Amino acid sequence: MVKCPYCRHDNLEGALVCEECGLNLWSNPQVEIPTRELADEANELSVKSGWGTATFQQRNQIIIHIRDAAEPLTIAPTGEFLIGRRDSASGVEPDLDLTPYNALERGVSRIHAAFRRGDDVLSIVDLDSANGTFLNGQRLAPNQPRLLRDGDEIRLGKLVMHVYFK
Amino acid sequence: MTLTMGFVDHYAILRVPSTASDEQIREAYRLAARRFHPDANKAPGAAVVFKDINTAYQVLSDPAKRAAYDANWQKRATDTPGLVVEPVFSRRKVRKLDEPQLLYVLLNIQPTLKTTTAPDAPLNLSLVVDHSTSMQGPRLQNLKAAVHNIIGECDEKDILSVVTFSDNAEVLIPAQHPTDPREMKARISTIRADGATAIFSGLKAGLAQVERNRHSRYVNHIILITDGRTYGDEDDCLRLAGRAREAGIGISAMGIGEDWNDRFLDALAAQTGGASAYISSPEAVTTFLQQRVRSLATAYAERVQITVAPAANVKLVSTARVSPNPMMLDADIQPIPLGSVDGLAATRLMLQFHLMTGAAEPGEFFVGRVDVSGEVLGSKYRSERLVLDLTVEVQNELPEQEEPPQTLLDALTRLTMYRLQSRAREALERGDITEATRKLEYLATRLFENGAEELGKSALHEARRVAHTRRLSDEGAKQLKYGTRALWPFLGDSNG
Repeated sequence: MVKCPYCRHDNLEGALVCEECGLNLWSNPQVEIPTRELADEANELSVKSGWGTATFQQRNQIIIHIRDAAEPLTIAPTGEFLIGRRDSASGVEPDLDLTPYNALERGVSRIHAAFRRGDDVLSIVDLDSANGTFLNGQRLAPNQPRLLRDGDEIRLGKLVMHVYFK
Repeated sequence: MTLTMGFVDHYAILRVPSTASDEQIREAYRLAARRFHPDANKAPGAAVVFKDINTAYQVLSDPAKRAAYDANWQKRATDTPGLVVEPVFSRRKVRKLDEPQLLYVLLNIQPTLKTTTAPDAPLNLSLVVDHSTSMQGPRLQNLKAAVHNIIGECDEKDILSVVTFSDNAEVLIPAQHPTDPREMKARISTIRADGATAIFSGLKAGLAQVERNRHSRYVNHIILITDGRTYGDEDDCLRLAGRAREAGIGISAMGIGEDWNDRFLDALAAQTGGASAYISSPEAVTTFLQQRVRSLATAYAERVQITVAPAANVKLVSTARVSPNPMMLDADIQPIPLGSVDGLAATRLMLQFHLMTGAAEPGEFFVGRVDVSGEVLGSKYRSERLVLDLTVEVQNELPEQEEPPQTLLDALTRLTMYRLQSRAREALERGDITEATRKLEYLATRLFENGAEELGKSALHEARRVAHTRRLSDEGAKQLKYGTRALWPFLGDSNG
């Protein structure tokens, strides 16, 4: 297998261009982006110094820091991990319920976004939410998964959080 | 009517020397049967190849038939064949692997002797011209000028006819040598726009004109020029194109403006290995038509076709003509018609194979057989038949990475852009807007990377359009399709 450095698509051995995105795999050989160096534990929370790793292995967990929240959350997503707001009337039960973080006021949809676990990667996908999902300030097109990197900022409506790989 | 093929070399087909013993011939047949027998190999090309192998074995395994055949074989033409097929592999060594792996093969089909002057093959040409109401104005004026120009370019050995059509077809100029070009041009000037587009009637009349003078030493061809969609007779047209192919008559199709059905015209041209083109502005029609006719006249070989028969543990996943007249080819129907091979530039095909080497022993790995046939025109007229076996080497260890040939990489880069475009359209047809948008964005990135700024901008524009309106514009869809296709030939159309 040859993993495309542009879109992470797994191509067959011998592929010279990526089947998915058309990148020339011969002149753009596979590069692994190294984990950023952390000065200390405290820095990790506030400073985003360059790109974090995109590698998210089987044993990895995600630590989520929700802005203004006291405690970080630790989750171990399997397959698809739904993020949203619990709503007993419609029977919506997201895997991560953001109601305790003023989700309603901050414009989080009941079914807002999801983490998706791939082969050694983690992506986020906006599920056609009303107020949008933003990755590092950029609005995601609905239903188009985007690769997450260690330290990325995610905004659901007005609710801001940072994700770290552990 | 089928094409008259030249002398078939049964020894070459069985891959044995002419002095082979009965036992060697039996052995060669067994090997071929293991590779291509329909029970063992379901690929469409394999059936075609196996039929020839069977015929060869019927003859060579029967002492009386073989003796009679050998007498002819001694007398066969032994000078250098007129055509040559050269494969360029993405790599020659592969690893033994339990999962499929990719192999690209670029095939160059070209004259054996490089000519410096263009061959001047005689044409038997019919121009089939749409004069429906929508052609009114600049389209028809430019088209008339373009046809005048073609009449001027033809010389006295050529045969030309002009058919006009709207609701019905009319043979405006019956097939004749252009001995009186002024009279011909005067008739063209009488064309007026009216009626609807009914392509079948026009094509049928054009085909009848070409058939009247059909000759194996001529380039027998129909050029259809239309600006509209034909209603209800597309299948009839495609069947007619199939008949033209059987008769060795090519069809090229040119669409003016945005309303015509590109898929249909492409399919029509592909039936015979002809070309299709998108003419965005009426003024461009003269250039396009002239180029097309000139490239017909520089044909070195005509009625060229190819059969690709992959081995049973190999899959042919994509077949494309890279140059000239780039297009995806349908490998489900074999042999695949390629039309003519130009005297000045190679015909290039890109084949993509999936190899299953899991059960292979280290050593030579048989990828498949390629069988090319065609008729060399002009004074050296003869039919050619070339059989080529593609092989790579299997190793247990991962071989050292080989640098892929630049010509292959270049061709592949462009082909990829065309495929992104067609995948975006397929996704759109499935209603998968997300996928269509993504493919168009990837396409834009690749176009910018390769310096095709304008086309890149169109791709981005169409991506946004798709995201908002769930559809491509007619113009944009054609621009991207024919634009990405036009990128292909720029790389080394020369024989390099």
